Amino acid sequence: MDIPYTVSARPDTGLYNAKIGIWLFLASEVMLFGGLFSAYIFLRVGADYPWPVWDLDVTLGFWNTVFLIASSVTVVMAWASIKLRKYTQYKLCMLATIACAAIFMVNKSIEYSKKFQHYAVKLTDGTILTGHLPHGYQVKFENVDALELTIVGSNKAVDADPVNHVLTSVVGDVPKFKFPSGEEKELNKATFAELRKATRAAAYAKMQEERAKMNETAEKAAAEATTDFAKYEAARKLTIAKNYHSIPDTKVKLIPASPLKVAAKPSQFFGYTGTNITFIDGTIATGKLVDDKMTLEVDGVDTRAVAQSDKSLAFDHRYLGEAWQKAFVASRDHHIAEFENKYKDENGKLTRDKSKSATLQKESLFYKLNSATPPAEGAAHGDKHGAEAHAPADAHGHEAHHPTVVIEKKDITFFSNFTPKLNTYYAIYFTLTGLHGLHVVAGAGVLAYFLFFNGRMLREDPEHLANRVEVGGLFWHFVDLVWIFLFPLLYLL
Amino acid sequence: MSDNIEEIQKSVRKYIIIGVALLALSGFTVWLSTVELPTHSLNILVGMIVATFKASLVALIFMHLNHERPVIYKVLAFTVVFAIVLFVLFILSAQDPLVFEGFYDRNE
Repeated sequence: MDIPYTVSARPDTGLYNAKIGIWLFLASEVMLFGGLFSAYIFLRVGADYPWPVWDLDVTLGFWNTVFLIASSVTVVMAWASIKLRKYTQYKLCMLATIACAAIFMVNKSIEYSKKFQHYAVKLTDGTILTGHLPHGYQVKFENVDALELTIVGSNKAVDADPVNHVLTSVVGDVPKFKFPSGEEKELNKATFAELRKATRAAAYAKMQEERAKMNETAEKAAAEATTDFAKYEAARKLTIAKNYHSIPDTKVKLIPASPLKVAAKPSQFFGYTGTNITFIDGTIATGKLVDDKMTLEVDGVDTRAVAQSDKSLAFDHRYLGEAWQKAFVASRDHHIAEFENKYKDENGKLTRDKSKSATLQKESLFYKLNSATPPAEGAAHGDKHGAEAHAPADAHGHEAHHPTVVIEKKDITFFSNFTPKLNTYYAIYFTLTGLHGLHVVAGAGVLAYFLFFNGRMLREDPEHLANRVEVGGLFWHFVDLVWIFLFPLLYLL
Repeated sequence: MSDNIEEIQKSVRKYIIIGVALLALSGFTVWLSTVELPTHSLNILVGMIVATFKASLVALIFMHLNHERPVIYKVLAFTVVFAIVLFVLFILSAQDPLVFEGFYDRNE
């Protein structure tokens, strides 16, 4: 049976069926994105940190806007081309639309991967350092002389799995381990499975033993009971004994034949002290902490949360030091002076409140580092991008590297790459753009299907295909429409 | 949508003009965000007005909402109302109706 009203209009609605269908769907889509935009407003109104403005790559975002608008034009042209029976033009327009979608997604993935590789490190005084981790970040232990495994009795989220979660962070060759049985053997999937099986069997036996003991005590009490209450108590304990089935967790120690060296990424452990580290399978390795410092190539110092910006921990002698501090103060004061000059009336009074200008706060207190060494004194006064202008070029003619600092763990309160974990702005940024990106992929997929698999329909029933393209196009315009709001909200304002 | 060939032929030109206008308005939005208005809220307001204007162009011209059947407008009327409710919900976070004690200055 054919689906009715694919070409002609249904008498009661005056529309072909797919059209009313897509509009109902788009109405639900408006509510879906509306809810997320609402979340955006909530997060922005309630943010307890300066909301990032112009933090993303605006050029990339602008080009994506261009490609999306262009694709909106081409998709409506594709529909008009079928109506006018210009089939070659239709195909070209559809191809252009799909190509624009592909370029959009490539740009998006470039933007995402840049964010994944960029880090923000919050120091104890509120300073945020941004930059890259050239070697990643690892906590290093030496002389690890024991692994304490917790093999759980019943199923729990965390269960010992040293082969997958501990050995992966061991540096160099993995030695043999002394097992509780006294044997010395390699720790691998098979030997661990064996150990786990034996341990759980022993734990089960222990549980049964315990239950038998409880049962015995309760039966004895029942036999000796004289009062009603004592009888009741004994019966209750008997029930408890019968229902007792909690298999105890067992701690097992594995001793490496020679001390281990361990270097673990933050995602591989729960926490550590000076003498032990707890991996995410609950295994505790005892040894000596040798290094938990973070090497960061600094490209920005955000002092907006620091009471005295020039005293920021970032300018400590261990870190960026006095020369950078001077450059920062010069740049900060330059921006403040510029602001004062710009917003002064005839009487020399300021027409705007310095403390209320988010732009001034950002320009003066979020200092960008564009060279390996501080710009020469006075350079920051000359123009807005003094530091940039004086960045010495390296051998390849690229901009020189950023200064590298080695941050002690005790100075770090939090660090993250620019992912949803960092703050609510990046959480809503990834949610909104991620969902929008999925819509781009889905929309392009549908249009590609019409182009590549509906060739027969184009020849035999072009009006039907024109309606399909119109409906697919309506969805595509909606995707464009969402981006029209996303671009200013996330990139510009 | 009309099936009139001549009208479609005419509208093709219109689509290109609107596309160019949208691109120009996008550039304008970027420029506008670099202009420092007295408060940043004003920047956001103006930016959103421009975005809404762009969105209406897309909806009216590309999505043919300038001449559509009444049933679609009925569906969209509900959508618009509920969407606006979503966008003003945040007011509840500032003024909790359960503990709201009226507009007065607590320091007085």
